[in-house]
Amino acid sequence: MSAAPQSGSAPTTNATSSDKNADPAKDTKPAAALEEDDEFEDFPVENWTQDDTEVPGDNTHLWEESWDDDDTSEDFSAQLKEELKKVEASKKR
Amino acid sequence: MDAIFKDFGKAYAEFDGYNLAKTLAPVAPEAQPDRLYNFHRSTNFSSVQKDFKSKILHNNALPFKLTSEESNGWVEVYCAYWKAVGEILNAEAATKTHNKVSWGKVYEAWKEMTVVLIRGYTNSGFQAWTVPCLYVAGKYMRVFAIKADEDAANNPSSAINFQDDFNPEAEKNEKLEDAARQLNRMFQICLSDRAPLEESRKWGIYNIINLLFKTYFKLGSVSLSKNILKALQAYRGDMPPLDNFPLSHQVTFKYYVGVICFLEENYVEAEKHLTEAWHLCHKDAVRNKELILTYLIPCHLLTTHTLPTLALLSPYPRLQDLFLPLSRCIKKGDLSGFDAALIAGEDEFVKRRIYLTLERGRDIALRNLLRKVFIAGGVEEAKEPNAPPVRRTRIPVAEFGAAISIGSKETMDNDEVECLLANMIYKLVLFGAFGLRRRIYRLHMKVCLAQPYPPPIRRDFSGGTTSRT
Repeated sequence: MSAAPQSGSAPTTNATSSDKNADPAKDTKPAAALEEDDEFEDFPVENWTQDDTEVPGDNTHLWEESWDDDDTSEDFSAQLKEELKKVEASKKR
Repeated sequence: MDAIFKDFGKAYAEFDGYNLAKTLAPVAPEAQPDRLYNFHRSTNFSSVQKDFKSKILHNNALPFKLTSEESNGWVEVYCAYWKAVGEILNAEAATKTHNKVSWGKVYEAWKEMTVVLIRGYTNSGFQAWTVPCLYVAGKYMRVFAIKADEDAANNPSSAINFQDDFNPEAEKNEKLEDAARQLNRMFQICLSDRAPLEESRKWGIYNIINLLFKTYFKLGSVSLSKNILKALQAYRGDMPPLDNFPLSHQVTFKYYVGVICFLEENYVEAEKHLTEAWHLCHKDAVRNKELILTYLIPCHLLTTHTLPTLALLSPYPRLQDLFLPLSRCIKKGDLSGFDAALIAGEDEFVKRRIYLTLERGRDIALRNLLRKVFIAGGVEEAKEPNAPPVRRTRIPVAEFGAAISIGSKETMDNDEVECLLANMIYKLVLFGAFGLRRRIYRLHMKVCLAQPYPPPIRRDFSGGTTSRT
């Protein structure tokens, strides 16, 4: 019990030095221990202005404009063409 | 104790609820790491009440006068706070020395303080500007409850209960459920406040609701959140508009309402709320933006069939891991790749509750695949000599079948392929119709895939033609 940091019975000379050592741990420990779980986090500030939000004008580039992929050169398209040829061939037989 | 009561006096004189709430924080501020420790040491069990009374009730140095009811209320709150701080310091000391920490005790002491605080509003006339104290009490009550429940799960009590009605599930979240009840009381005292708006506790409502949402989500009882929304709806006439609340309350609320709609598969509503949250969110709150996008992206995929750009995902490596493999397969029309990516991410998708929604992305992958078959079909000779060649619009079902089977070992039979195609047409993802001319070819299909979003069509299966209404 007497060795516990908070007992206050440590000699004063040691107390200052051990306090200094303990401080960083004390700062980080409770913060980490009281960190919230996986839910939406609290904002560090309560309110803010438009300047601190994402610029809404950027939104146009956030989503792909077309869902068509016309790049027929990649592997998958080549594979598809192979398959279709096979279908074609089996029909002729 | 002086530091805390000095701040109390200052905050009270300035009507500053947030600074007042800071005097009830369970964590010492960085600038004063010993604040809680000193506060707790400044008095003891036998004289705490007397000491605090002299600081609040009989302190002539305070620049304002409180009613005796109000003062006594605050004395009670700080006494309870003092006890809770004692438990918190014990817990911290135990963590440092690797002894057993009893978060259960911390929770009980903190809850006691919360109860006293709530009583202050109902019985002692605490003023509405002090509601940030409820935020702090509620926020940490939830945190301590979760810790206490984790504790209990890791150290099952030695006295095993052999009774028949023993239900381990019920105990799993015992403290958090208890915390939810207290939060609900806070919600009620904010909601039912009849004071004029400018001095109403209603201004605290969204912060408390957000705490309740977080708690219900953690408990897995999202449906309870609906009750809150219903209660809110019933009072909507008396409630200040959401736009007038601090943005942190708004964004969190919109996020949760968006996710609730999302889980009910109401993707249009969900997208509306999530998009608003996205626009209003603080640009440095990376984790929160990541959470918003986690639901907004699947929503957007289903409502508009568009995928996020790399630019959108680039600041969020976690989202890239989550969505990029699927996005690539959807774009390419790679069904087996899509299935593999869905299985690979299954645990994470299920945890985030987006699995079922993403699964529907398979339709879009399929549509893109079918479109590729259509394009690969090329053009056919025009019937009239001088007319330009036209795209081949009749595609044997077998070709679709072959395309769908790419990458998977199984081949699909024509009936099955037909069924898939019919479904796609029904969902308006494809624009086309079957022509059942069994004698010549087994089955042919007339498909026009050029338009991703055709207007509603009348499907006429008898003649194999399709016309727009």
